[in-house]
Amino acid sequence: MDEPKVKKSMLSSLIPGLSSLSQRGLAGWLVVLGFIMVASIVVVTAISPWVVPYNPSQINVGKPLLSPNSQFLFGTNDLGQDVFSRVLSGGGIMLEVSILSVIICLLIGVPLGLFSSYAGGVVDRFFCLIMDSIYAFPGLVLAIAIAAMLGRGVTNMALSIAVVYVPSYFRVIRSQVLSIKEMPYVEAANAAGAKGRTVLSRYIFPNVVPSIVVVATVNFADAILTAAGLTFIGLGVSVDIPDWGWDLTNGRRLLSSGAWWVIAYPGLMIILLALGFTLMGEGLSEMANPRLRE
Amino acid sequence: MKDTKAIGRMTIVGIVIVIIIIAGVAGYYFTMPTTKLKETLVMGTTDSVESCLDPARAYDYFGWEIIQSLGCGLVEYKAGATGSVDDIVPSLAASWNVSDDGLVWTFNLKQGVKYEDGTEFNATHVKYTFDRGIGIDDEDGAFVGIGYGGIINNVTVTSTYVAKFYLKIPFAAFLSLLACQASYIVDPAYAPMTSVVVYAEGNARGSHPMGLGPYKLANWTRTAGKDYEMRLEANANYWNASGGYPKTKKMILKFYADSTGLALAIQAQEIDIAFRQLGATDINTMKTNTNLKVWEGTGAFIQYLVLQEKYAPFNNTIIRQAVGAAINRTTIVDTVFLGQAQKLYSMIPIGMFGHTDAFLTLGDPNYTKTRELLADLGYNETNKLSFKLWYETSGHYPSSPQQAQVLKSSLEASGVIAVTLDYADWPSFRTHRQNEDMDAYILGWYPDYIDPDDYIQPFVDSSGGSWIHHNYNNSEMDKLIAWARGNTTAAARSSLYSQIQNLMVEDCPMIPTYQGSAYAVTTLKIKGVYLDITQSWRHWLLYAEE
Amino acid sequence: MTLRTYVISRILLTIPMIFILLTMVFLVIRVLPGDPVLLHFEKQENPAAMEEMRHRLGLDRPLWVQYFDYVAGLFRGDLGESMQDYSSVTQQILSAFPATLELAIFSMIIAVSIGIFLGVEASKGYGKTRDNVIRVFGIVTYAIPVFFLGMVFQMVFGLGLHWLPVGLRLPPRMDLPSGLNVGSLHFSTGLYTIDGLLEGNVYKFVEALRYLALPSLTLGLVLSGVFIRLTRSNMFETLRLDYVTAARARGLSETTVTYGYALRNAFLPVLTMMGLQFATLLGGAILTETTFSWPGLGRYIVDRINFRDYTAIQGAVVFFGIFVSVVSLVVDLLYAYLDPRIRL
Repeated sequence: MDEPKVKKSMLSSLIPGLSSLSQRGLAGWLVVLGFIMVASIVVVTAISPWVVPYNPSQINVGKPLLSPNSQFLFGTNDLGQDVFSRVLSGGGIMLEVSILSVIICLLIGVPLGLFSSYAGGVVDRFFCLIMDSIYAFPGLVLAIAIAAMLGRGVTNMALSIAVVYVPSYFRVIRSQVLSIKEMPYVEAANAAGAKGRTVLSRYIFPNVVPSIVVVATVNFADAILTAAGLTFIGLGVSVDIPDWGWDLTNGRRLLSSGAWWVIAYPGLMIILLALGFTLMGEGLSEMANPRLRE
Repeated sequence: MKDTKAIGRMTIVGIVIVIIIIAGVAGYYFTMPTTKLKETLVMGTTDSVESCLDPARAYDYFGWEIIQSLGCGLVEYKAGATGSVDDIVPSLAASWNVSDDGLVWTFNLKQGVKYEDGTEFNATHVKYTFDRGIGIDDEDGAFVGIGYGGIINNVTVTSTYVAKFYLKIPFAAFLSLLACQASYIVDPAYAPMTSVVVYAEGNARGSHPMGLGPYKLANWTRTAGKDYEMRLEANANYWNASGGYPKTKKMILKFYADSTGLALAIQAQEIDIAFRQLGATDINTMKTNTNLKVWEGTGAFIQYLVLQEKYAPFNNTIIRQAVGAAINRTTIVDTVFLGQAQKLYSMIPIGMFGHTDAFLTLGDPNYTKTRELLADLGYNETNKLSFKLWYETSGHYPSSPQQAQVLKSSLEASGVIAVTLDYADWPSFRTHRQNEDMDAYILGWYPDYIDPDDYIQPFVDSSGGSWIHHNYNNSEMDKLIAWARGNTTAAARSSLYSQIQNLMVEDCPMIPTYQGSAYAVTTLKIKGVYLDITQSWRHWLLYAEE
Repeated sequence: MTLRTYVISRILLTIPMIFILLTMVFLVIRVLPGDPVLLHFEKQENPAAMEEMRHRLGLDRPLWVQYFDYVAGLFRGDLGESMQDYSSVTQQILSAFPATLELAIFSMIIAVSIGIFLGVEASKGYGKTRDNVIRVFGIVTYAIPVFFLGMVFQMVFGLGLHWLPVGLRLPPRMDLPSGLNVGSLHFSTGLYTIDGLLEGNVYKFVEALRYLALPSLTLGLVLSGVFIRLTRSNMFETLRLDYVTAARARGLSETTVTYGYALRNAFLPVLTMMGLQFATLLGGAILTETTFSWPGLGRYIVDRINFRDYTAIQGAVVFFGIFVSVVSLVVDLLYAYLDPRIRL
């Protein structure tokens, strides 16, 4: 077999769209768009300490509940804090929590999924049962319980979200592995005497990667939404850290006054961030499993 | 010819359609249940009965609010009360007197008051009520919480309409205690001697043991562990009906999940009255709404900053005073509560007998003093005093995160203090309090009975204040408190409470920050709202003209 | 395998799953910091009274005793007593559940309706503008936090336009629907729409719908994206099949072809998805219920967690878990019955 050619084709299946994205049509554009959205939010959050017009945590920089004007682009909230500054710097927590939870999921879910489905038999049944049980647990409730149990902080929020998500990774990987396991080239490798570990790492894993990427992007989006949900219930971060989820929660108390800007802008940012990841996920999933074209 | 017939047919069809539409619309409107404002009022709230409506166990604000409408005590505070003893007026007791040593209280009861089954109310019912409450000794209840057993020795029936209370200690606030809802008289027909009456699904009458109040409980529905709807109907046998009470025959109570839900409901005028808990922003919005009326009154709810004396830094009195001097109450009142609160300089609320602005001597704020005091101990701009300030995140107190944020700003504005905020949800917060591992934490207080004793003894008395877990002990303070609660002359008590408050400023175990005002929002036609120091919501005084 | 074997094996699999769920809940909750006993003593902490309380709540027994007691109670259908007001947890859950069920049903109806309609519309042309717009719509609705959407609706339709109510389930002055009352037969479901109809009171039915409108629209909209995507992709596959071309060739109208022939095939996966999404729905209901003052199971769980009411939380989660398992079991069985390939 022509080794370099095999490697190259495997590589290009690893990074779908290596051949020009525009060829892929809408799917490619979705990925690009999503990536731009996420990247810009990351950049803005990173440079925010230097570009914010006001200290986002400082109270009474302006009168409370001013509607958007020239001095305060997005208005002020009930404590007189500048909403625009808070919007610029509020993404940090969301990003941290989602990135951390994805990392944890990858570190736990992927090896578990690979191992369990490859091993098969009783081991597989056992893990399946546990994963299905967690999956059957209403996600937000589990996240709330774990977050309440572990206490406050970014790490604990990420952990609680991760626990809820691991079963998703597990399932996706498992279904992929089960179908790949039966493929001729895997059989051939086994017949040739390759060890289990080798088969897993060289043949199965690379083919599972595209699905993992897709699940990860969806995981990012869901983590952001769950983090917002946890904050809404009261399990978020300290009040002196700017956070979009906190602004939404706090803004709810102000609803009757019609101060829509306190909720609208942070909410919009959360949507944009979650949307960015979801678009990437949609695009990547379409590229990995191309749909029919007329 | 054809055309006229066609037109004719079309006209008939058109007329028939119009008639059908009119009939439909008319039918819709006529079958719509009509509501009469005068007869029924709807009140919305975010409260809910926490345990039950039995005075032997109920110890929450809303439980007491309903008990007050369903039952009656020996005495009560008149509407618009300011908290002095003169505001206590006869209710089921027509008159009373107390022995010189303050240990025996004699009550002459009203005659001709009937329970719903025709039994006449007399002294045996008074004895029954208190024997029951003290006997059941329910851990959840006010009898244990306030300590009735430690105050009352026994109740004796001297004659049909005379009941005597023999006390264990002279207790100046005894009348106030009898005016509170835990002391309300029960109906033995509905109040078993040894068990508490709890919510019974579908059986409103069997869900509470009272019976002498202005209202009856017509319907009580609980869903998902919280109240869903309550309906009160006028009590035909009410002994005070001749006074025209209750003014509104039916009250419907609806329960909302949070302040926003309640605010939206009153703004849409789906309900007539909104009381507890509306946020500061909500109240401000409603003040500018020409279709609504905002009622403002004295609040008795206070909040304060507690300092843990078990370990550094707050085991040092100077440091506590320094922190006390760095509190800016103006920002709390104006920024967090939008002016809907009052700056508080004493644990005894403004408007209550015995209140003095004791903490004002520390400053509000007085950063110079803070810096001076701390400089002596080696703290300055480069070596700041640092500690953790804790707040709760469950909404147990109003705007806790905002208060914490504002306190942090004001303390740090002194230049020599660095505050780290930490937080926990209410149950964890309670555990932290019990474990005594919080440097500084914010707590709040609602009175049980209207007397300065209830704002002092549960805080700075070494045994009474133990639940705060701040490890404050001062035998001098204990003595003053015991004298003040026993002594029955107003002048002597006043002077004692003045000394107590001054001692509090010296020792600075906790720093009062603000006193909340009470608010209710109603539609324009509603009258009869009294928001006084008793915090009692008197359903029977509310009415609306057609 | 035969249908019967499949059914039995599926059912048998559900039981250990529920058990694991139960145990997980039991342990997780007891590790929560915070003590239900403490929460009974707001003012004053009398040590003797607290010990009494601990005993009354059964918390002074060893953990394994509490666990077995709980499981035994479960078999009797008794979920224990709430640690706050000592009333029956089973009673509380049964009173809360109909509200959540009603919300879930109507949200599902909205989600599936929007999903199928838009999915079919999109399938009429792959890659065309209509298709792309609908795809983006489906993606965007998924990315909106459900409580944010709820608040936006409240502000726009409630506060701003005064079109729809924004909290509770019925107008405050209205009596609760009593359900069917014929002679001595009393039957009510707790779902106000149905109870209103059973009572024969159209006015109550209409009001119940009005109050359901915003919450179910919020939840339904956020959920619709999944159904749009599913319908769309399934329709694409089905529309290419020979029998569809044949139907068109026979001269049947496009509408009949789309809705009569193609959709029927695409519907099966939608059914499965409905079952799968049920769990998501119940979870999303928590945030929606809090936003709209909706007195359902979601709000119940949040309230109980705030009180560390162990029995109530355990009861609610186990109830949720069992209900979701049963629903997915039914869906799986239905699917297996309708599509013989699955049982292989």
